[in-house]
Amino acid sequence: MKSLFNQIQRNSFFILLSGLATFLAGCEDVIQLDVVNKSPKIVVDAFVNNTLDTQTIKLTRSIGYFDSTGSEPAITQAQVAVVDQSTSFPKLFVFNHTANGKYQFLPNPVTGDTFSIGHDYALLVVIGSDTLVSFSTLNPTTTIDSLQLVDVEGNGPPINTTGKYVELMAKDRKGPGDFYWIKTFRNDSFLNNISQLNISADMGNTSRGQDGDLFIYPVRYNGVNDFSRSFKTGETVRIEIHSINAIAFAWFNLVVSENQNGGLFATPPANIFTNVVSFNPNKKTAIGGFFCMSAVTAASVTIP
Amino acid sequence: MQRIISFVFFIITTGLLSAQNVTISGYIKDSTTRETIGKAQIVVTPVKTTTSPSDTKVSPDFRASTNGYGFYSITIPQGQYTIQIIAPSYPPFAQTITAKANEEINFLLIPEVEGVGTVIIRSKRNNNVKSLDISTQSINGQTIKKIPAFLGEADVIKSIQLLPGVTTVGEGASGFNVRGGSIDQNLVLMDEAPVFNSAHLFGFFSIFNPDAVKDVELVKGGIPANYGGRLSSTLDVKSRDGNKRAFQANGGIGTIFSRLTLEGPLAKPETKKLLKPRSTPAKSSFMISGRRSYIDVLAKPFLPDNLAGSQFYFYDLTAKANYSYKRDNIFISTYIGDDVFKAAGLFGVKWGNSTVTTRWNHVFNKRLFSNFTYYYSRYRYNLEFTNRDVTFNWKSNIVNNSAKVDFNYFYNPKNTIAFGAQSTHYRFIPGEAVAKSATLNLKFGLPDRYALENAIYISDDWNANGRFSIRAGIRVSQFLYMGPGKVYLFNREPGKQGILDSMYSTEKGQIVANYINPEPRLGFKYQLNNSSSIKGGYNRMVQNLHLISNTAASVPFDVWQPTTNNIKPEIADQIALGYFKNFNGKQEFETSIEGYYKTLQNQVDYIDGASLLLNELLEADLLTGIGRAYGIEAYVKKSSGNLTGWVSYTLSRSERQVVGINDGNWYANRFDRLHNLYVVSQYKLNNKWEFAANFVFSTGTPATFYTGQYTVQGYVVPDAGSNARNNVRNPDYHRLDLSVTYTRKKTKKFESNWVISCYNVYNRRNPFSIYFATNFQNKGQNEAIRYSVIGAAIPSISYNFKF
Repeated sequence: MKSLFNQIQRNSFFILLSGLATFLAGCEDVIQLDVVNKSPKIVVDAFVNNTLDTQTIKLTRSIGYFDSTGSEPAITQAQVAVVDQSTSFPKLFVFNHTANGKYQFLPNPVTGDTFSIGHDYALLVVIGSDTLVSFSTLNPTTTIDSLQLVDVEGNGPPINTTGKYVELMAKDRKGPGDFYWIKTFRNDSFLNNISQLNISADMGNTSRGQDGDLFIYPVRYNGVNDFSRSFKTGETVRIEIHSINAIAFAWFNLVVSENQNGGLFATPPANIFTNVVSFNPNKKTAIGGFFCMSAVTAASVTIP
Repeated sequence: MQRIISFVFFIITTGLLSAQNVTISGYIKDSTTRETIGKAQIVVTPVKTTTSPSDTKVSPDFRASTNGYGFYSITIPQGQYTIQIIAPSYPPFAQTITAKANEEINFLLIPEVEGVGTVIIRSKRNNNVKSLDISTQSINGQTIKKIPAFLGEADVIKSIQLLPGVTTVGEGASGFNVRGGSIDQNLVLMDEAPVFNSAHLFGFFSIFNPDAVKDVELVKGGIPANYGGRLSSTLDVKSRDGNKRAFQANGGIGTIFSRLTLEGPLAKPETKKLLKPRSTPAKSSFMISGRRSYIDVLAKPFLPDNLAGSQFYFYDLTAKANYSYKRDNIFISTYIGDDVFKAAGLFGVKWGNSTVTTRWNHVFNKRLFSNFTYYYSRYRYNLEFTNRDVTFNWKSNIVNNSAKVDFNYFYNPKNTIAFGAQSTHYRFIPGEAVAKSATLNLKFGLPDRYALENAIYISDDWNANGRFSIRAGIRVSQFLYMGPGKVYLFNREPGKQGILDSMYSTEKGQIVANYINPEPRLGFKYQLNNSSSIKGGYNRMVQNLHLISNTAASVPFDVWQPTTNNIKPEIADQIALGYFKNFNGKQEFETSIEGYYKTLQNQVDYIDGASLLLNELLEADLLTGIGRAYGIEAYVKKSSGNLTGWVSYTLSRSERQVVGINDGNWYANRFDRLHNLYVVSQYKLNNKWEFAANFVFSTGTPATFYTGQYTVQGYVVPDAGSNARNNVRNPDYHRLDLSVTYTRKKTKKFESNWVISCYNVYNRRNPFSIYFATNFQNKGQNEAIRYSVIGAAIPSISYNFKF
């Protein structure tokens, strides 16, 4: 609600000033700015979960702000492993480089090579003389009761298209301190628009004491739909609830706010922290990215 | 208690009265309107048989000046004197008097007659050199109206922004910055009552109607002890009393808004049959002045049906009435203004100030003048929007009530003492929101906050000898943050977000935090000769109200917060030193050069990603740091002849250091501008035609831009690198404005003029902001976008009248 307020307030102001600017022949034009990405960061993209799917950790370097995304240089000569610290002997899961900086591991339930709920994990990355580490606990996630389909008439923002939308019927785990990242897939393609990044602290906002019941409406409905495109007959909707933790929640929040931080009333750009640190305290290696272990529940429905 | 007071008065009133000294006191007023004239200099020279002192030598005059209410008092030995009165916009006045006994003399000054080649009085030009005020600039209503203005509308704040040491973030930004201070560090007073947002229409206009303004004084340094509560400056706006002799109307019709002012005596002036037939002015008068914009009215026929109920306007109303009886003057003044923008069914915003001031001047005796003030001031804003069938309404207020007493004690010719006390009660309503629909009525918001601010001050203007004078004063301020409310206690690591440790509720009147701060003030003047002086000043200022804003430009929705147990009072120490020199040749110039250095403590900044709205734990997101600002201001003013105006150049820096921002290193403040050059000029060709031009150049403001980016889980993470706060400069700001005034032949009853002006003559696209966006076609590509609120030359025409 707070961010909604904030956003609408900013937007309405922007509209007002733009209206005035139109009257005053105000204008926007693209200009060349000389900004240099002085020292590229090592970027660790390590979201690992307890499913039996192939797990991927990606290592790249950051690029200039005006470069095209997708052109990030891959780090291919690294050694990557996740260590289970909760077993009697630390158990090593080695991620091997496949291509383009992707390091992968395939869990094997037969040999017991899987990630377990409640265990503490460490990430180890060796790149040349740098050793990077990070820690994360694999928290339990909640269960999904059902995905319900609703017919909605699109009559302007935020719902522009008439059609079928989905409502996630799921409850937050009892007790405060549960954090979730809810991902929606349309025919297996992840809706990764930043404005739809759907995270929840307990039912929605833990500081308001929202705990242990159905996720609040913005989480269970607004966050799981793309209102510019309703679901069509034959399409499959899958929703996954990944357990995350308080730090990851804060990190995602910053990613959202920095991505939406623009326009006239922008706040000063901030650097988004990382939970990956260099093992060598004397060497200042600039690092970006995040390491998080998740438990996943999923449900899917095919639009009749 | 009463006894003590009487005793104090007894001491004060008996004073040091030697037998041969007499006190001359009274008011100095305008002869046509009978409005009082503040800050007029009175020079009393003994009539001698010998030749008068040469211009280069400091003459052994007695000097005094009127206070803000036009009252003066001067104690001199018995004898014959020439009294000279020097006041801006008035020709010199001189009269010989014989001082035998205590006497009340009211002087009437005839206003300067506008005309070609008006000879302007030499002595007046030395006001800046001879007064004790440092870093102080006054502008009267007349001057404000002559500066080419945006859309042809003269404006108080826009005029202030052309003075040395004053900058603005740009078009569309509210407020102004003084000597590297943020906009909330200016105490803006409308008839003694503080105004919390001085902007209409995003700062394109200020809330002060120039027709209702008598004079404006900006004090940037050496701030006297009677002012307090803000760090950087005091902008004291005084409204006109209204003509006491005749009914008068004046107004204007402009592109954006129209204005009308009515004024006159409240009772019929009595006509006395004297040797010279003249009418005595009435004892009371009024002034009422209003403005309203009318874009919405004009646009109405062209709006589509769904926007038919839209409102888009601002208005303000300034009214004042006064009554004088013998030794008492009573003033009641009020200001109400709002900006309203409403798109029917979508959203609406509204913000505005209202103030009410009542003042009672009482002259206890010839040397003790008093003023009692009570004021009420409120700033509020409202935001309403509809999201499908749910209507949200959000409001925020700051309300304060204050009682104040000020005394001016004209102790002896060498000492004028000012003292007084003030107590202000604040109520903060940081955010109250209601979400409503057919089925829902949800109230949420933040608890109100209360505070009481008390202050006492005393200050002496001591004229040590003809050359050296000192103004020494002290103000002691107390700020009590109190209940009812909620108090939060945090565990803090420097530079990090605070973690809530505990919270509790407080009873009404329960004191949560108490801060007492002595604020010493000092000013001195050393008169080198009649046309030059050196002046210096030191002041410590304390601020207990903080405007919480972390956007590049201030918006009306920024929330005011009191000092609390978590937010400490802001403190500034400033030293200023200046050299003032006037050239009194055929063409007269006032020049000055001033330097200042300011340090600031407990400056409020924010953790990265702070959420400022409806955040109950806002205090956890605040960081505090230190600041420094320094600069040199050069000023040349020509106020005689057909070509008048000024050139002002400021070289300045304003920086901050906050643990947790910019790796703890110093960084430039967001309103830091290294070079500022302002040229303001008017040329009077003849009685009909007058031309004016402004030129403004300022170094671009700093901004923080992302330098890099990377992708995690398909999301792009922008990155600003290290040492990133304010790492890039926006392009420089410059602009030229021109205007032509055509005055129609004046008759005794009616005068009018047409003003044609052009703002931003050469189409400069000055950036309001540069922001980032993703290329519309190529989603992976970012772009830097320059946003200019004014992207072209803006011509305008307005018509002004007076009868």
